[in-house]
Amino acid sequence: MSFLVGVVLLAVVTAVACALPGTFMVLRRSSMLVDGISHAVLPGIVLGYFLTRNPDSPWLLLGAALSGLLVVLGSEYLTRTGLIAGDAPQGLVFPALFSVGVILVSLEFSDVHLDTHTVLVGDLNLAGFRQLTVGGLDVGPAALYVMAGVAVLNGAFVWLFYPRLKLATFDPAFARSLGIPTGLLNTALMLLVAVTVTAAFNVAGAILVIALMVVPAASAFLLTKRLSRMIAVTLVIAVGGSFAGFWLAYFLDAPTSAGMAVFQGIVFAAVFVATQSRRTVPVGGAAAAR
Amino acid sequence: MTETPACSVRGLSAAYGTTPVLRDVDLEVPRGVVLGVVGPNGAGKSTLLKAMLGLVPPLAGQVEFFGRPLSRVRARVGFMPQATTVDWDFPTTVRDVVTMGTYGFLGWLRRPGRVERERTGRALEQCGIADLARRQIGELSGGQRQRVFLARTLVSEPDLYLMDEPFAGVDARSQQAIVGVLHGLRQAGRTVVIVHHDLATVRDYCDHVALLNGTVVASGPVDAAFTPENVRRAYDVATADDPFLDVIG
Repeated sequence: MSFLVGVVLLAVVTAVACALPGTFMVLRRSSMLVDGISHAVLPGIVLGYFLTRNPDSPWLLLGAALSGLLVVLGSEYLTRTGLIAGDAPQGLVFPALFSVGVILVSLEFSDVHLDTHTVLVGDLNLAGFRQLTVGGLDVGPAALYVMAGVAVLNGAFVWLFYPRLKLATFDPAFARSLGIPTGLLNTALMLLVAVTVTAAFNVAGAILVIALMVVPAASAFLLTKRLSRMIAVTLVIAVGGSFAGFWLAYFLDAPTSAGMAVFQGIVFAAVFVATQSRRTVPVGGAAAAR
Repeated sequence: MTETPACSVRGLSAAYGTTPVLRDVDLEVPRGVVLGVVGPNGAGKSTLLKAMLGLVPPLAGQVEFFGRPLSRVRARVGFMPQATTVDWDFPTTVRDVVTMGTYGFLGWLRRPGRVERERTGRALEQCGIADLARRQIGELSGGQRQRVFLARTLVSEPDLYLMDEPFAGVDARSQQAIVGVLHGLRQAGRTVVIVHHDLATVRDYCDHVALLNGTVVASGPVDAAFTPENVRRAYDVATADDPFLDVIG
């Protein structure tokens, strides 16, 4: 596989893997929890790397995901105490975890490529360099296969639990009254978000991964009236945006993940302007009469 | 032989954080009645429903439905939450929301099929919102939203309905439609518990009443329990000739 094709595929697959759970984060109004998770995975990644010395180890992925989950569980615990309200609990938990990660990076790994800049914005092309060879055949970047696995995992989760996931997102109290284990579904979703963020870390970094998770879903939210269509539109925007964003960055000779995030931002701005102007037009009898 | 009540609550206490809301609530809901839970703001009316369903963890007490714990008879108990508790911008249609009432009893890998579609269609008709089925839920009026939630609870055809403020924010037409459904349910031998805040309509809608203010001040058939004296105690109104009591008739 040529290097260019491998990297383009990596960009598209990463965008798809992120956009799927992103849909539910946007609908839960907890988009910025992705921010917290994406920062809190850092100490897990560093510790995992310290223990395995292998950046592609699945243990590293799981350890990092668990440290990302600490933000979710920790902030939920603080919220339940009733002492701290709003999103302050997240703000209390994740900067501390991220800082631990930064200190570990600067103490232990000042000689490896896991530097603080890459941590923030990632480097798609660097991630694309480590090629996977099967039986002497070059089959593309190793990261591509990790991201594809995560995308399949996310797709399977959403497909299998779709009705219950939809209801638990829309009306958790009613869902629980039907006996649906909303807490378990929530934790599973958050674990998947953390796994996805960790896997996408090399490609997009801790900050730009938020754009990949949140922006396609937010654009699709403005365009659709049904969840199934929202997910479909989210995927179209994720694929199209990452593809276009890649070439934008390629021709500008700029960081790829930044190109993708900028392009997604442009798509959102266009959708926002279009739907705002449409909404000012009266839409008919029933709405006008109210 | 006496029939087991649709619901019996014994010694139920619950709190939000460190604030106690319910203290030692005892309540029996006979089968086939419409029971109104009435009381001032902050009396714990909504919390009572949620604690009965285990949505707010009770500190103490026991709740039985048809003589058994909730986990054994979940399909016979339907809950209608307050309409204000959800995000009405959620990308979903009226028909979609009503179908959600069937999700709890769907196999994990199944999708709603013919049976679920038929039940959904019936519930939409019953609540007079069949013509709104394809609307996005954000386009509905307050009364229409309540009817969507009512239909979602009807769709699983439970024997006991726990409804949190079904008349909040409704216009006359929706009110009529909801009352019609409640009376239909009573005629069919179902049991309904509504959290209600309008004292003036208690006699019209309810056969039984529970006056709540942290704990049950009085409960029983409307004629026996819904007396000016009991209402005064529930609302902490001291003077006997307060004009506010005129509304209860």
